[in-house]
Amino acid sequence: MKIQQKLSPFKTAFFIINDILNVIKREFQTMFKDRGVVIMLVLAPLAYPVLYCSLYKNETLIDVPVAAVDCSKSQISRELLRHIDATQSIKISSRYATLADAKQAYNEKKVHGVIYIPADFGKKINSGEQTTVSVYADISSFMYYRIINQDCNSCIQDMSNHIQVERLNASGITGESATILSNPIPYEGIALYNEGAGFASFLMPAILIIILFQTLFLGIGMIAGTSRGENRFHVLVSSSVHRGGTFRVIIGKSICYFLLYASWSFFILMLIPLGFNLPHIGIPFDILMLLIPFLLASIFFSMTVSVFMPHRETGMIIFMFMSLILLFLSGVSWPQSNINGFWKAFAWIFPSTSGVQAYIKINTLGADIHHVSFEYMSLWVQTAIYFATTCWAYFWQIKKSKTKILNPSVI
Amino acid sequence: MSNNLFTAITKTITREVKRMTGRPIYFISTVVIMTFSYVFFLTFFNEGQPAKMPVGMVDLDNSSLSRQFTRNLEVMQHTKIVMRLNSHKEAREEMQRGNIYAFVEIKKNFAKEAISNRRPVITFYVNDAYLIAGSLISKDITYMSAVTSIGMQQKVLRAKGIDERRITGIIQPIVLDTHLIGNPWANYGTYLLNVILPGVLQLMVLMMTVFPIGVEYKERTSREWLKNSNNSMFAALTGKLVPYTFIFTVLGIIGNLLLYNYMKYPMNSAITWMFLATFMLVIATQAIGILFIGITPVLRDGVTFAGLFGMLGVTFAGSTFPIEQMPVGTRIFSNFFPIHHYFDIYVNQALNGVEIHYSYFSFIALLSFLVLPLIVFIRLKKAAFKQNFPIK
Repeated sequence: MKIQQKLSPFKTAFFIINDILNVIKREFQTMFKDRGVVIMLVLAPLAYPVLYCSLYKNETLIDVPVAAVDCSKSQISRELLRHIDATQSIKISSRYATLADAKQAYNEKKVHGVIYIPADFGKKINSGEQTTVSVYADISSFMYYRIINQDCNSCIQDMSNHIQVERLNASGITGESATILSNPIPYEGIALYNEGAGFASFLMPAILIIILFQTLFLGIGMIAGTSRGENRFHVLVSSSVHRGGTFRVIIGKSICYFLLYASWSFFILMLIPLGFNLPHIGIPFDILMLLIPFLLASIFFSMTVSVFMPHRETGMIIFMFMSLILLFLSGVSWPQSNINGFWKAFAWIFPSTSGVQAYIKINTLGADIHHVSFEYMSLWVQTAIYFATTCWAYFWQIKKSKTKILNPSVI
Repeated sequence: MSNNLFTAITKTITREVKRMTGRPIYFISTVVIMTFSYVFFLTFFNEGQPAKMPVGMVDLDNSSLSRQFTRNLEVMQHTKIVMRLNSHKEAREEMQRGNIYAFVEIKKNFAKEAISNRRPVITFYVNDAYLIAGSLISKDITYMSAVTSIGMQQKVLRAKGIDERRITGIIQPIVLDTHLIGNPWANYGTYLLNVILPGVLQLMVLMMTVFPIGVEYKERTSREWLKNSNNSMFAALTGKLVPYTFIFTVLGIIGNLLLYNYMKYPMNSAITWMFLATFMLVIATQAIGILFIGITPVLRDGVTFAGLFGMLGVTFAGSTFPIEQMPVGTRIFSNFFPIHHYFDIYVNQALNGVEIHYSYFSFIALLSFLVLPLIVFIRLKKAAFKQNFPIK
């Protein structure tokens, strides 16, 4: 890596490269000397994904405790409760005589739902009438409600189908035609790409991209804030570095961040999904193709904003909460089609939005790079725009530092 | 003595307020960020539930029955048919592009088979990688498919001369009647904002406890800070943090009012309990903030801890994925997050509307966080005098 630094008027190109290499070297040195930056740019991108994946390791809920109030006490009501108890997600943990008792248990958070079977349940089933089963579900988390409702529904549906055939038989419709009539137009719902409706498979891919973006953004902000705070002239780029010109500084720094984050991306976007069994049906080459503009856009975006960070802590304090906002803007939990125009435009400012969408489409849905051409082009457009703004911002900073050096009274 | 303490605290408050007006970061990370969060989340989720999400239709039959099905599906709350496609492959690619969240496939001769009792199948594919969109649309299509099937049954049974009461008994012997406790409309905003907004609040409280204290050590003004409060660490900390307690409590209560009064989210007990919970969330979080900056009175480390802890708080509140279903260690760990107890109070009071005695434990838990600063009290005081920690 080390290139002899000797003046030679014939080798301008050689000098440029030499300068860039110098900037890269310096940047790597500043990065690894600073504990805060190491935490942000090395530790956080390695630890966060593992931590979050372990927390959400259980993709779905297992044996959620539910209370049963069986006022019918008939054979058929017991059978229904047995079926519900046998499902993966629901466990009938206690039985009560009255709804009031069950409510008490719910209030004490012993159970997350109550199944109520009315007294005339068995009688109505035997006499061919319609009857009702009531389910009261905890909605403090959507997961409880969804699971309890879904499993009770499928058990009741199964039981209903049997009863239907019996009743049709009783009405004189028998054999094959009863079976057909009990369900004349069957339907089949097929969940694609996240077959088990897992929570981690749904949210983690988005979180992974946000982690990459936010740590990069905050790390670059911290580096810039530090050099500004320590610098004699309170400007971003010290005069010794920019001797070679703005472009060399920008290119050198961005190569440095890019190299670092290319390896983190490999770890976070390829190894983590494998290790934690998240969806990973994407073509690695397509992910790589996506990664280049995503990292470049994120780096130049961060470098532009970093110019305005007066101190090293500023970025962390002011922009940490943006992680949450970016997660929602990315359109994974609240669908992108339903984000209103203003916030959609706002979301487009951040490379993370297109990054999340494109990564999920390629990695989870198995799309090709040409399926995500909108996001892909967006990222390249952002790269161009933010490269221009970075140049402008650095030019301005370097000009400022030059005037300050020439003219110390300005300070 | 107590009079002395009082003047020391007032002097520190005056000093802190003066410092707060000196740099924009104080205003930004209190009022600006909280206001932005309120505006963002309230306008972002104002629909309550995502409505009219894009769905594709692969109707290879194109009969009056299949068109009827499409028309019926159009009127459902969450579904909007945005494209008609010619093949399964085409539809799947549209799904991979993210243009539709689901598609329904109706095969050729669907109507013919239905009339001749050959049980044609309605197949639909749902993209569960977008779990919320997927499950809501899935509910709609399932419902419509069942209705179509029931319509067919009704027609046949009526033709066979069976009376109406028995027909209802046959087509739907058991009805499932689901009640959602406290949030009957399954409003997504209700469910999320009640954890996200306090989540942002506690993150900012944490930051704005660590920062104002840490900056005294970083800028080597800690001696002056302590001197100003008559060398009483208690007065120095109290005086410094009271302005933030006030600002964040007011901001938090504004948040409560926005959620429960303006947005009319469920509030099944007295709103004052939530005011109290908000105030206690603020002071408990401040106590944790003191602990963080006390462990190492280095601003950069304090801010890093605070950020890490604050972001985890949103997960550990236990709303997105229930804590009970996380690994065992996590369950114990979650008790160290004030927002976890705040969330319990919210579920009990606002959502379920149970008697207040069910929440005593949570209030006491929040109060017990106030012990934490004692652990680092002496350390902070020593460091303030010696100024022996790195500033970077």
